[in-house]
Formats: sequence, structure tokens, C-alpha cells
Amino acid sequence: MLDIKYMLEITPSLLSVLHVTLIILIASSALGLGLSILVTAIRIKKVKYLSQVMDLFISFTRSVPIVLQLFLMYYGFPFLLSMIGIHVSDFSAAAATVLALTLYNAGYLSEVLRPAYLAVEKGQHEAADGLGYTPFQKFTRIIAPQVIPIALPGWGNALVYLIHDTSLIFTIGVADIMGVANTLISSSYGAHQIEIYLTIALLFWAITFSADTMVRIFEKRAAKYNLSNGIAPKKKAKRKMRILVQKGV
Amino acid sequence: MLTLKNLRVAFGDHEVLKGIDITVKKGEVVTFIGPSGTGKTTLLRSINYLEKPSDGEVMLSDVGIKFKSANKKDILRLRRKTAMVFQQFNLFKHKTVVENVMDAQIAIQKKSKKEAYEKSCEELEKVGLLDKKDMYPSRLSGGQQQRVSIARALALEPEVILFDEPTSALDPELVGEVLKVIENVARSGMTILLVTHEMRFAKNISSKVVFMDQGHIVEQGTPEEIFEKSTHIRTRQFLKEYYEAEEDLAIANV
Repeated sequence: MLDIKYMLEITPSLLSVLHVTLIILIASSALGLGLSILVTAIRIKKVKYLSQVMDLFISFTRSVPIVLQLFLMYYGFPFLLSMIGIHVSDFSAAAATVLALTLYNAGYLSEVLRPAYLAVEKGQHEAADGLGYTPFQKFTRIIAPQVIPIALPGWGNALVYLIHDTSLIFTIGVADIMGVANTLISSSYGAHQIEIYLTIALLFWAITFSADTMVRIFEKRAAKYNLSNGIAPKKKAKRKMRILVQKGV
Repeated sequence: MLTLKNLRVAFGDHEVLKGIDITVKKGEVVTFIGPSGTGKTTLLRSINYLEKPSDGEVMLSDVGIKFKSANKKDILRLRRKTAMVFQQFNLFKHKTVVENVMDAQIAIQKKSKKEAYEKSCEELEKVGLLDKKDMYPSRLSGGQQQRVSIARALALEPEVILFDEPTSALDPELVGEVLKVIENVARSGMTILLVTHEMRFAKNISSKVVFMDQGHIVEQGTPEEIFEKSTHIRTRQFLKEYYEAEEDLAIANV
């Protein structure tokens, strides 16, 4: 039988470390978004060399399992710094986590933002350019407001993945929900594994549900722009065809 | 007021415009006609620097630019003295009709919201769309969208408006309303450069007609000189083909 009483008993101790998960989540999603904008800009502008480096970076973050990325960051980053003469004595697991998840999230998001940016019609750029907008004015007033509604669903997915991936950060020693769970399991000699994991599953469900709800609210706000322009395509071609048919060609 | 000298544009190895010289006086309506792929649209887009010419220069009132050495500041100044009306309208999709007309006034001319709003309503009234001011472009017909885009251009009070095949993307029954608006703009004394395939309209509205073929200006003159008295074989051939095609279309529509 499922020991619901036990589940309720352990909930406070799990909740007491929830803030660790949330802080890491908020920090890496915010930093990840910022970095992904930079990466996307470099790739779209095709900045020499840097653009290729970004392609490599994205390919790496998308290909290597996140657990490995966490390990590489935790053990590898201080080593990398020491090679260029910077010695970090206490590189915390939390910092490594935020860094790794930021890079991972940015890599994923860049693959969302780039197609969203490219989906904005060329004519929108030309209209703004032709009227004499500066590139900055064009981006902030015309392009970005059209990119956001297209990118929102993809951003929502990235956020959900990020939430899932935080369940792995205990592997490098961050005392988050999963970390506390492991302690609980070993102190109860494995008697309550199902209850403990089920409680955590419900907690993750709640976090993801709130994140989803937030994204939906954004999407609803963005939906008021009906982004089709209602032009019947290829009218001219049709007209030409009709003339040709009439001529018996 | 507007002078182009030796304008050359190339796409890769293919030279689209092979040295165009033209002078336009204030208040003139200059229409460019000719076969497709002749560079008429490219010519218009070059004046707005939407295409990057490989050589030549442009003078528009007090702005003079050599295309080879144009810097960002020059380009902005040129663009702010001109306004383009596109074949596909290109209204800002995320803005309402009135916001479309207001935005550049606020962003570029630094007008207050109130000023821009009043000016926009005035221009929308002129194109007969004031009642649609709070709609999004996607809810309008093509003809209405094009009229809004003309209002957007007018609101900036440019020195010259460039119309790039403004009725080519429209359903036949919507062409008339847009031509009527363009005619009113022409009557108001605005300097206009127009690329169109509506020959009858070109004949009625233009102060000067330019016939282009294969990247060159073949001839230019009054509508009468081009449409009726042209001695150029290419011009006459082009017009003949056009009228024949139009006749066939008329038969097809019966």
C-alpha cells in the first residue's frame, strides 16, 4: 500500500529545498535567453569565424547528454580557467549548474529564435528600411514584436526541458529536491522509494504546470496579432496563364 | 529635383541596370513602362537604397550621394526623403491601420503620439479608410491595405513617393480604388515615380513616360509621344503586345 501519510511527512523537507531548484531554473533560463539572443544575432549576421564557432557550440550542447555537460562544467571549467592562469579555489556545484544549464538552454533556444526571426517576411524589413528606420528602431519596433509570438511555443518547450534537467543537478552534489530525496532513501533503508519518487514527480508536475500556464498567458496576449496579410498568392501568374490559354499556347 | 547619373546595378555577374540617367522635376509624375525583368523595379528600389547600386550617383534636393562611397548616414537621409509603396503593401502586421501610419512619424520624425495620430487620421481620411483605423491589416482587402500603405507614405511628407507596381498584386476589381487614390496624390502636386503595367492609367496620369528595355532607357517623353507617336520599334512592339494581351483577357472575361 502507498504510504500517503509518509508522503505528507516528507513534503516539508522537500519543499524546504525547492528554492534551490527554482533559483537555478530562473537564473539559467534568464541567462540562457540573453545568451541565445546574442548567439542568434551572430549567426544571422553571419559574423566571420564567430558564426562558425556558434554553430559548433550549438551542435555540442544539443548532442551531448546534459549529465555529461554538468560533469564537464563542474570538473572541466576550473581546469580550463587554471590553464589561462586564473585559479578558482571554490567553484561551487550550483555555479557550475547554472553555467551548464545556461549554455544548454541557449543552444536550444537559438534553434528556436533563428527560424522565428527568419519567418518574418522580407517585406517587413524593406518597409521599415525604406521609410528610414535605423536598424535598432526596425528591430525593436517592427521585427521583435513579430518574432516573439512565433518563438513563444518553442521557448515554452525549452523551459519545460530545463525544468526536467534540473532533476539531474544532484549528480554533481547540489542539494536540491533530488539530493534530499536520496538522503531520505538511504536513511529509510530503501523502504519508501516509491513514495519519495512519487512525491517528487508531483512537485515537478506542479512546477511544469505553472510554467506552462505562464507561457499560455503570454501566447494569448501575442495571439491578437493575426500575422497573415490576406494576399491571394500568384494572381499575376494566374492572369498570365489565362491569356496564354486563350491564345491557345 | 531628383537626378540620377549613370546608375548601375548588378546582381552577381548579371548587370540589371546599365547606366541610367534621369532628371525629375518637382511635382512631376514619371511613369516607367517596359517588359518584365527590364530593371524598372530595381531602378525604383535603388533610389530608396533597397538595392545597392554598383555605380552612379543620386541627387535629391540637398542630398547628393555617390553610390560607391555611400555611408549609413547618407542612406538614412536619402530614405527619409523618399517613401516607397510596395507591390505587396508590406504593412506592419502587428500594428493597426492607424498605428501603421503613425509609427514612422513617431520613430523617425520624433512627433508626439497626439500629433502623429492627428496627421494619420487626416491621411487615412484622404484615402477613405478612417473608419478602418483600428483594424489589423489582415482584416483588410488588398486594395484597402494598399491605400493604407499610401497613407503611410504620405504622412511622412516625403519629397518623392516611389510606387512599385502598386496594383499588380490586387484582384482586378480592387485596382480601380487604388488608382483613384494615386491619381489624387498626383493631383496634390506630389512628385511621383511609378512603375506600372496599367498603360491606360499611365497615359492619363503621367507628365513623363520612360520606356525601358534590358537595363537601358530606350526613350522618354510625354504620354502622347510614347504611346501614340513613338517611332522606336521596341516601344511599339511592347505596346502592341500589351494591347493584344488585354484584348484577349477581355474576351476571356466575357
